[in-house]
Amino acid sequence: MGRGEEEDKAVLSPGVEDDTADLSADDSPWSDSALSEGEDDDEASLSFEDSGEGSDADSDSDGLEEEDDAAAEESDSSEDEVAPRNTVGDVPLNTWYKDEEHIGYDIEGRKIKKRDRDGRIERFLSSQDNKDDWRNIWDYYNGEEVKITKEEAKIISRLMKGKTPHANVDPYPDYVDWFEYADKGHPLSNAPEPKRRFVPSKWEQKKVVKLVRAIRKGWIKFDKPKDEPNYYLLWGDDTDTADNKRQGLSYIPAPKPNLPGHEESYNPSVEYIPTQEEIDKYQLMYEEDRPKFIPRRFESLRSVPAYEKALREGFDRCLDLYLCPRTRKKRINIDPESLRPKLPSKKDLRPYPRTCYLEFKGHGGPVTSLSVETTGQWIASGSSDGTIRVWEVETGRCLKVFNVGADVHHISWNPSPERPILAAIVGRDLLLLNAEVGDEETQVRTKQLLHVEEQTPEDDGDKKPAVRWVKNEKFDGITLIHHRAASTVEWHSKGDYFTTVVPTGESRAVLLHQLSKKHSHHPFRKLPGLPVAAVFHPTQKMFFVATKKFVQVYDLQKAEVVKKLESGLREISSISIHPGGDNVIVGSKDGKLCWFDTDLSTRPYKMLKNHKKDITSVTFHRRYPLFASSSEDCTAHVFHGMVYADLNQNPLIVPLEILRGHLSSDRRGVLDCKFHPRQPWLFTAGADSVIRLYCD
Amino acid sequence: MPKHYRPAGKKKEGNAAKYITRTKAVKYLQISLAVFRKLCILKGVFPREPKKKVEGNHKTYYHMKDIAFLAHDPLIEKFREIKVHRKKVKKAYAKKNRDLADRLLNRPPTYKLDRLIIERYPSFVDALRDLDDCLTMVHLFAALPAIEGERVQVQRIHNCRRLSHEWQAYISRTNSLRKTFISVKGIYYQAEVQGQKITWLTPHALQQVLTDDVDFNVMLTFLEFYETLLGFVNFKLYHSINVNYPPILDSRLEALSAELYALSRYMSSGRLPGNPESNGFIEDKETENDKESSKTDESELRLAQLQHQLPANEPGALMHLVEESTADDTEEESVKECRTLFKDLKFYLSREVPRESLLFIIPAFGGTVSWEGEGAPFDETDQDITHQIVDRPTQSHVFLSRQYVQPQWIFDCVNILRVIPTDDYIVGRVPPPHLSPFVDNDQEGHMPDYAVTLERYKSAGQNQVMPLPGDEDLGNSIVEAKSEHDEFAKKKRELEKQEKKYHDELKMEIEGTTFSNLSNKKADSAPDVADEDETQAAVEQAEKDADDIAKSVVSRKKRGLMEAMKISNDRKKSKVELLKQRKKAAESSASAKRR
Repeated sequence: MGRGEEEDKAVLSPGVEDDTADLSADDSPWSDSALSEGEDDDEASLSFEDSGEGSDADSDSDGLEEEDDAAAEESDSSEDEVAPRNTVGDVPLNTWYKDEEHIGYDIEGRKIKKRDRDGRIERFLSSQDNKDDWRNIWDYYNGEEVKITKEEAKIISRLMKGKTPHANVDPYPDYVDWFEYADKGHPLSNAPEPKRRFVPSKWEQKKVVKLVRAIRKGWIKFDKPKDEPNYYLLWGDDTDTADNKRQGLSYIPAPKPNLPGHEESYNPSVEYIPTQEEIDKYQLMYEEDRPKFIPRRFESLRSVPAYEKALREGFDRCLDLYLCPRTRKKRINIDPESLRPKLPSKKDLRPYPRTCYLEFKGHGGPVTSLSVETTGQWIASGSSDGTIRVWEVETGRCLKVFNVGADVHHISWNPSPERPILAAIVGRDLLLLNAEVGDEETQVRTKQLLHVEEQTPEDDGDKKPAVRWVKNEKFDGITLIHHRAASTVEWHSKGDYFTTVVPTGESRAVLLHQLSKKHSHHPFRKLPGLPVAAVFHPTQKMFFVATKKFVQVYDLQKAEVVKKLESGLREISSISIHPGGDNVIVGSKDGKLCWFDTDLSTRPYKMLKNHKKDITSVTFHRRYPLFASSSEDCTAHVFHGMVYADLNQNPLIVPLEILRGHLSSDRRGVLDCKFHPRQPWLFTAGADSVIRLYCD
Repeated sequence: MPKHYRPAGKKKEGNAAKYITRTKAVKYLQISLAVFRKLCILKGVFPREPKKKVEGNHKTYYHMKDIAFLAHDPLIEKFREIKVHRKKVKKAYAKKNRDLADRLLNRPPTYKLDRLIIERYPSFVDALRDLDDCLTMVHLFAALPAIEGERVQVQRIHNCRRLSHEWQAYISRTNSLRKTFISVKGIYYQAEVQGQKITWLTPHALQQVLTDDVDFNVMLTFLEFYETLLGFVNFKLYHSINVNYPPILDSRLEALSAELYALSRYMSSGRLPGNPESNGFIEDKETENDKESSKTDESELRLAQLQHQLPANEPGALMHLVEESTADDTEEESVKECRTLFKDLKFYLSREVPRESLLFIIPAFGGTVSWEGEGAPFDETDQDITHQIVDRPTQSHVFLSRQYVQPQWIFDCVNILRVIPTDDYIVGRVPPPHLSPFVDNDQEGHMPDYAVTLERYKSAGQNQVMPLPGDEDLGNSIVEAKSEHDEFAKKKRELEKQEKKYHDELKMEIEGTTFSNLSNKKADSAPDVADEDETQAAVEQAEKDADDIAKSVVSRKKRGLMEAMKISNDRKKSKVELLKQRKKAAESSASAKRR
């Protein structure tokens, strides 16, 4: 190895020597350094080194085997001693000293000559020759070749592996607590004790004072509160009732839950258990209607399971108790019959028509109207088959038939017994004809009365006269030709005046006629609505006109409105006046009947909803306290209607009888009803072309 | 000026001032809705129905005075304190100040409800009147599973159990139970205390399941009030019979879930404080139970137990209850009747029958009872046992000296207050239908068959003392009952006959009037059968006419009312009809099967 180096040097030397030839004077340090680097060099140049160093090197060189240990010990020191020759420091050598001959300065300020490295070829050769050549490393800084020892190589290899440089260094040694705690009575710090350690704290004092005060005042209690007995005699004697009143608003106790019925039993009778079909049917019901509880039957008590809805039902009850508004409601637990007013028994109110006694058959169409003669011997009826028939009441014989040739809408017998005249609305006009009953004298007079001269057309100008009196040749009577279709005719009780109503007649809707003078006029210019019927007051000079909603009462002498009765009905169909004259009944098309006590009020005294269909006619009895109504529902109702002479007593109205018998024809029922003037008998005219007489 | 305009500064009037909606009330009181609910429940404040709902139809209205009543209650402040306390605890935990939290938790603000009870029920009778819901609720909670971690605290369930047993003990002791009914929902009891009929429902002795569809907060608030109420009511009742409250119970019996029995003993001890005869026994017992405390209360309890056992062991000896009954002659008839129903009878309960219920009922009617299990006063082999209550398909070992009956027998006996024959209730047989004693059969319009039988037993008992079952007189009494029944039937038949006659007359009247000649008509119609239909129709028509015509005078309001009543009556009738129909169907199917 040593030889190799020498050879190396030998190889190197010529170049260096070339370089150093002129610098030989300064060469010594360079050579020193170069030699000193090679530890195992046994060259004489070592002598240049100071003695210690030199000895070291010598000992090293003795044997390579021992070198390991020795180097380990001395390499540090030797390197420390043999400091790098160059002292320029960490400067860019390549740039600064590139063009210089030296590479720096040694410690004494002498220049260190640049030495040339071996050429590549030499280096290669030496590497081939010398196995240990890899140990030679060029030190650029000092410009010399350094040979690394085995030890250094090991260190490098360890460093490259990322280990600690020295093999025998333990990176994780056990911690050795060098301080001995035991029996050391003094703190680590030697600082004197601070004052706060031995002076009482102000803040603590404050806190204590506060607590003391709180304790003294009883704000803080240390004893656990004594357990008072939970229960005691809350209610004393109940005798003191004044104290026992609940304060505040009226308390409404919650209704008690319903008590269970037979069906809730665990073992109910068979009839309480619904069949499977019924249970299935429950599913089709609305949820609210569905029964909440379906009874079941268990053979024995041990087989009854826990009721799964128990908690839910308890909860629902709780909700009811605190969420449901409570109100007191009067629960009427009475027999519905008791709500009916106490009426006098029907037996006491006899006589009144109850059963059908006679039927008058003969008409070929609905009997629209009938009228009873004042004596009660005859009745006249008009039908839509175009005939007027006169019947004898007692026998039911048809006395006469007048074939008038048009629908008869209304018929009315003259109330005077001396004037057996019939007034009938035939078609659109009024026909007055001789009924041809009674003795000859009256016949003669009647004929005279019904004689009318040809009227000279009035000079009304362009306007058509309201009524023209024309002689009727066919029946030897009079035809009153109206300007529009008339609907009803009504006689005054004396039998001289009569009135006709022309519903569409506007200002000439209600006409008054005088038979003796053959004169007509229309005193009522203005009416509140379409007129339906008009009636004379039975005793006084008053006149009633029923429009669709109201009944106007006129004073005929003063020619002014006295009263206006408000019916409140939808559409009035008929009207009748009590023979006393103070009470009026009105029938309406919605099946209601109003009783007006004109002395009492202009509003109905009593409203009866008795018919299911339109009321066609209402009528009072002239003598008995009876009235009746007929309706399209094929019935006629008979009432007891007592009017007392004492003004303080209200009229008594008692429903008596529903008279049936008529058949419905073309959805029409009973078209007219009239009482017999003397007997408690009722005639009804039906749409089934029959007239019936009801007697007691 | 529009009608709704109110000038500024003018106060509200009428319904707008009197009533307040719930939302507004909550705002007014400055509390949360949950607290408002709780307050309403505790104070018994309920919504009201104003005549005019100013704020809208779908809102809940409270009376302003009720709200003021709530606002002035100290409880509202207490609830605020509780809220604050809860917050403090939470904060302490959040700051990891466990000490403070523990200290706070040791002293939670508490409140008492006694003041509310006297406020809501100023007199004791008021409290009794409202006790139905209270008892039902307490009994329901007593039947809930007492499991830690469930939504209901175990302690409260135990408290409910205790309260319910105390109540039952009182009822049983004073013989004030009147009616009992086993329903699918549970067992209904009706007692009469101070003239008030109190009905409550106890669930069957099976564990209830806690469902999710209920709000336990609401229920527990109710329960809180009810627990307090029942406590005070019990106190008052115990006070009235000179027994200390709360009772001190024998822990041994309590552990055996025979609390009720323990209670009844305690109560009888309270009544009879000393008996010189049994002193020796006391000492014996004391020495036996050295470990047990020697408090005076306890010794009294022992004494009571001994007294209870003493006569039971001696044949022919009367129960202490019976002794008392002879002493009090001034008692009401009904109480006496209840007390002596099971006077000479001794019952033994098998383990499968609902013990709690029967332990309650039998002593309430003067019977002596024991059961299978520990702590029982006498055991099965006792020769004096007259009835053994069993609920099993067959009874293997049979003592000839006693009757084996199903539990329903007790309930049916109690309801009619007669000891009825046990034939139908023998083990293994399907018992006759169990009928509700709360139904008035006449009013309902339908009389189940068994109700007739029970009625017969009852009337038979009225005439003579019902013989002991198994006696020879039994047949005799039945015969008598039968004869009575026959009499009843005869009467009924007569009535029917009369009714028929009346109808005939009515018919004749109508027929006669239509032809105006009665005698003539009679002669005509007698042979004519075909006419009958017509006349029947006429009769109906006439009735209907009379009905209609009378209706026409009635005012519209009353007419509406009448119609509503008619509808409800018809519904009732149709229900009865349905029952009859079902019964017929069942009978026909049964007869078909038999064939």
